[in-house]
Amino acid sequence: MAAYIIRRVIWTVPVVLLVILVTFLLMRQIEGNPFRKTERAVPAAVQENLERKFKLDKPWYVQYAQYVKGVVTLDLGPSLVLRDRSVNDIVKEQFPRSIELGLYAFGWAVLFGVPAGIVAALRPNSRFDYGAMLFSNVGFALPNFLVATLLIYYVSLKWGLLPTSGWESWKHKLLPSLTLGLVPMAYFARLVRGTMLETLQADYVRTAKAKGLRWRRVVGVHVLRNSLIPVVTAAAPLLGYIITGSFIVENIFAVPGIGRYYVTAVSARDYSVVMGLTVLLSIIVILANLLVDVLYGILDPRTREART
Amino acid sequence: MSAAPLPIPAGVSGVSAGAPIRQSSLWQDAWRRYLRNRGAVLAGGIFLLIVGYCIIAPIVSPHDPNRVHFPDAYQGPSWSHPFGTDQFGRDLFTRTALGGRISIGIGFGATLAILAIGVVYGAVSGFVGGKLDNAMMRFLDALYGLPYLPFAILALAIIGTVNFWTMVVALSIASWFITARVVRGQILTLKENDYVRAAHAVGLRSYAILSRHLLPNTLGILVITIFLELPGVILGEAFLSFLGLGINPPDASWGSMAQDGRDAYRAHPHLIVIPSLAIATLVLCANFVADGLRDALDPRTRET
Repeated sequence: MAAYIIRRVIWTVPVVLLVILVTFLLMRQIEGNPFRKTERAVPAAVQENLERKFKLDKPWYVQYAQYVKGVVTLDLGPSLVLRDRSVNDIVKEQFPRSIELGLYAFGWAVLFGVPAGIVAALRPNSRFDYGAMLFSNVGFALPNFLVATLLIYYVSLKWGLLPTSGWESWKHKLLPSLTLGLVPMAYFARLVRGTMLETLQADYVRTAKAKGLRWRRVVGVHVLRNSLIPVVTAAAPLLGYIITGSFIVENIFAVPGIGRYYVTAVSARDYSVVMGLTVLLSIIVILANLLVDVLYGILDPRTREART
Repeated sequence: MSAAPLPIPAGVSGVSAGAPIRQSSLWQDAWRRYLRNRGAVLAGGIFLLIVGYCIIAPIVSPHDPNRVHFPDAYQGPSWSHPFGTDQFGRDLFTRTALGGRISIGIGFGATLAILAIGVVYGAVSGFVGGKLDNAMMRFLDALYGLPYLPFAILALAIIGTVNFWTMVVALSIASWFITARVVRGQILTLKENDYVRAAHAVGLRSYAILSRHLLPNTLGILVITIFLELPGVILGEAFLSFLGLGINPPDASWGSMAQDGRDAYRAHPHLIVIPSLAIATLVLCANFVADGLRDALDPRTRET
């Protein structure tokens, strides 16, 4: 197990370096470097100083090495558009809101999706089961901009219950987090139902039932424990869903977070911000994967052998 | 008919000596199993209906989808305009079909690109095996769940122009990890089969084994994968276009139509609801078709 964890951790380093490299090389391909001589005429000395300040005068591998050094020391460099702010400032200001939004969305998903999956699996082919699976299928298919628009249209405009946009009180946070949580909710409901049904047929569950254990205890001790492992492992791919979804949800509900700012930065050609945020999001996903793989090994001893 | 065959005694099954045994291939079996799944058949029917609508409606429609006619702006659904009209008075029934052509086209284009990358990566990894396989898979492990949207946005920014093909590139660039892993798993399993060992033993070259014995047997998985990947790609296109980073006017996709409808949704919600529901219906059907195909082509993994 220790060997597996160590190997897994060591493998993360080249992957992170590679992702930074790919992002870095991609960024270099973009037309319209803000300091290109064709964009606007500036005195040669100013141009030189600008290039030196942003280290554009060095060969690409030196720039790359410096960027990696910056990432390691948690310094993502200056913003190219906002003169007085660094990428770090922007991350510090906007990122907590995105994390908050993502956590609430995840919370809704666990709160509704997991119990729905459990009940559906305990009464397969019941009305509740069909309802939950219908909800799950529809939840996957609805584009979140439609969900967001309909929620705003009815809850905020027609019934006047909650504000349409912003990020101040809990009232502002309810609709965006629910919208963002819908897909994870659908995902959990389906996932938990599937794994529960599988576990319910396992021999040890039959044994537990046969030896006269109360059903409630069988489910509580034997079934739930084993069926909820996938909920932990699903957290990493769901993170990708939540990041993607946050781009749309933050945009519609005007939540001043990373997802919304990313789109703004692309339009404003603020490439250091775009690059910093891309690298940051990627590293978060990679670390989440690492954490999940390690947790999986701890929670489910059966996987240790297979995975080493 | 002359020379009637000997009567087969009742109770004996219809197999008579000499008559060819009715063979059914893997695909015929799968097709039969698929047809038994009513939900999947219905979903497949609706899917084909939507595709047919997108192809045919613009051809037979009496309305020019690009004709601006302000007196007709913002009409609700009616007989002459079943989906109503947009802010320029253009017929939405025709425009939704045109948008569908682009959305579905990009969807299938990007899905095929994902398959191509995934098959090459997965086949190499699974077939070569050993250290290379280990390295390639550790790489995928770490990238699992990487959000495709930032990379799609980056790719579009680099290419500089947004059109059908650049959207296909942008949407496939960071979406092939799962497919690659699935193909690799399939190749690993197939590699252990006796006929592959036999092929090795008679001295067939690796390329021949891969292309004649291994890849054709992944076809079932790939057909399933098409419908598993399609929903994500179609939603991805819609997200990009909705953010204003995707398909530009005068072209329209379902996502860009939803974005157009965003400005006026308070007074005219149908502008955003119709293209969104088109996306939702297609995605829902694709998911059901994928489930049906999985049950039909790979009965072992059938859900209980």
